[in-house]
Amino acid sequence: MSEPSIANEIPGASVAPRGRRSARRDGRSALLMMGPNLAMFSVFIVIPIVAGIYLSFTTWDITNGAPKWVGLANYTKLLNDPIVGVAVGNTVKFMLFGVVPTVFIALGLAMLINVRFRFVGVVRSLYLIPAAMSFAASAIVWRYIFLDGPGYGVVNWVISQFGIPPPNWLVSTTYALPALDVIAIWLSLPVATILYLAALQRIPASVIEAATLDGAGPVRRVRYIIWPMVRPMTILVAIVALLSFTNGSFDLVNILTPTGGTNYSTTTLIFYIFQQAFAYGYYGYAAALAVLQIALIGGALAALRVFYLFGERRG
Amino acid sequence: MPAAKITHSIRILFAVVVGVLLAGPLFYLVANSLMTASQTSDLTPQLIPHNFDLQFGNYTAALSGPTQVVFARSFINSGIFTFFVVLFQWALCVSGGLVIAKMRFRSRNVITALLGVSLFIPILTTLIPTFFVTLKLGIINTYPGLILPIVAQTGFGTLLFRQYISQMPEELFDAARIDGANWWTILRRLVIPLARPATGAYVAISVLTAWNMYLWPLVAAQSGKLEVLTQTLASLGNQTYGASSPQNIVYAAVVIVTLPMIIVFLAVQPAFVRGLTGSGVE
Repeated sequence: MSEPSIANEIPGASVAPRGRRSARRDGRSALLMMGPNLAMFSVFIVIPIVAGIYLSFTTWDITNGAPKWVGLANYTKLLNDPIVGVAVGNTVKFMLFGVVPTVFIALGLAMLINVRFRFVGVVRSLYLIPAAMSFAASAIVWRYIFLDGPGYGVVNWVISQFGIPPPNWLVSTTYALPALDVIAIWLSLPVATILYLAALQRIPASVIEAATLDGAGPVRRVRYIIWPMVRPMTILVAIVALLSFTNGSFDLVNILTPTGGTNYSTTTLIFYIFQQAFAYGYYGYAAALAVLQIALIGGALAALRVFYLFGERRG
Repeated sequence: MPAAKITHSIRILFAVVVGVLLAGPLFYLVANSLMTASQTSDLTPQLIPHNFDLQFGNYTAALSGPTQVVFARSFINSGIFTFFVVLFQWALCVSGGLVIAKMRFRSRNVITALLGVSLFIPILTTLIPTFFVTLKLGIINTYPGLILPIVAQTGFGTLLFRQYISQMPEELFDAARIDGANWWTILRRLVIPLARPATGAYVAISVLTAWNMYLWPLVAAQSGKLEVLTQTLASLGNQTYGASSPQNIVYAAVVIVTLPMIIVFLAVQPAFVRGLTGSGVE
């Protein structure tokens, strides 16, 4: 009997309903009891999604009420806006160079702490505790350990010990986005590690032992036994990390590079949407950009699904 | 010592070293929050306060006086926001979970699928229209406007409770029905007490999420009166080194804001892990 878990909540993997007791009897109670939940869900999630599509065909001046219909104007603007391409590129880079390392590092960390010894609980807490931090708090800590001013931070000090002048991380067009990725990876690792640890502990010890007896070394065990066996969890880790990096792609950018970086080098799509709406007042245009964002998330999830099916067929 | 044992010890040592490195930024934060301003601005990074002379005064300075950066108001706002988001959302999720798990009605599968899909549409992507709807309801810059749109994100919690409640034996519910209990009584007397572990897992995850939330408050609480702690931190994070607040006081402020969640996290870590993985880890 499994306990509640988002691991069991991937759409399509849901439990089939048990025998139909009486298809109609509970209808009214169900409506009453679920009513508040559905009402809230509709008002603040379903309606905004529909309203978002509508807004994307309008210009909406927040000060004088009603949005004005402009047809495809926002989408034409979107196609001709060179920053959109930059923002999409930055978002894809931020996700790719964030999520992929998170997956591999987290699996490594999970294998590292999947041992039993006396103080394993304390040691695991060291791995998990960054999960309690907000992006805002970690932005500050990392900024001064790592990013700001030559000499003040640990990382910059180490770099300068080798006689290399450290880059001005947040201002640099090359290093700003990777620097933000490092922070987001650090924050995403705890949850990813927990998920992998649970997956590792579901692999029967006999499987690993058998492989070892057959002469499989550590590398081959990871490649041919552990990696295939944790694959379903890899999908979940990637999804959870993707959502976390989506949040990070706004919070970290807005806090550490409030202008979106030198030459838009840290302008992610989410940040650009926020900026267009709340800094410049182009709400309709921002809504069109948000439609693009949802399409991209959908695309990323579909890609993961394909990766999963492809892996299944081979494995 | 046999080779296997040595390998095992080396592995444990390695695990400890990596753990200390991962938690390193937090140690650095706490250490620096207890230093003098001149020590934190030393050109060589400082890891330990001079002579272990701990400057607890930094904490008072962050909370009061001319250098104050953390205000009681933001603390209270963060508390109110987190408390009501978790309370209301929990009520919606546990009842909704029961409905989907045990009641029979027509559109059940559609509702379940909708909730599932919503997990992949974080509020960031519907920010503009959610802002639009909240503004049209006339509750921007009010507590309800800050709290309700986040309460409405019931997808994760409802599905978590559905999963847990659907594992409860059918006979319990049949027996209660035969005894004449209606669904509300079943919810109060049977489901809520039995689903306590699920509640633990749910609360652990959503308290952290709400306390650390930044974007929605930034949009929905534009007046200073509703400012939450992540906004306070964000304005400190925007500064270059020591620009308007001494660095040791900035660090103390971060510790003050983060400490409640670290304590919560350590206390609920097993529930947090259970909520994510569906089982504990050994």
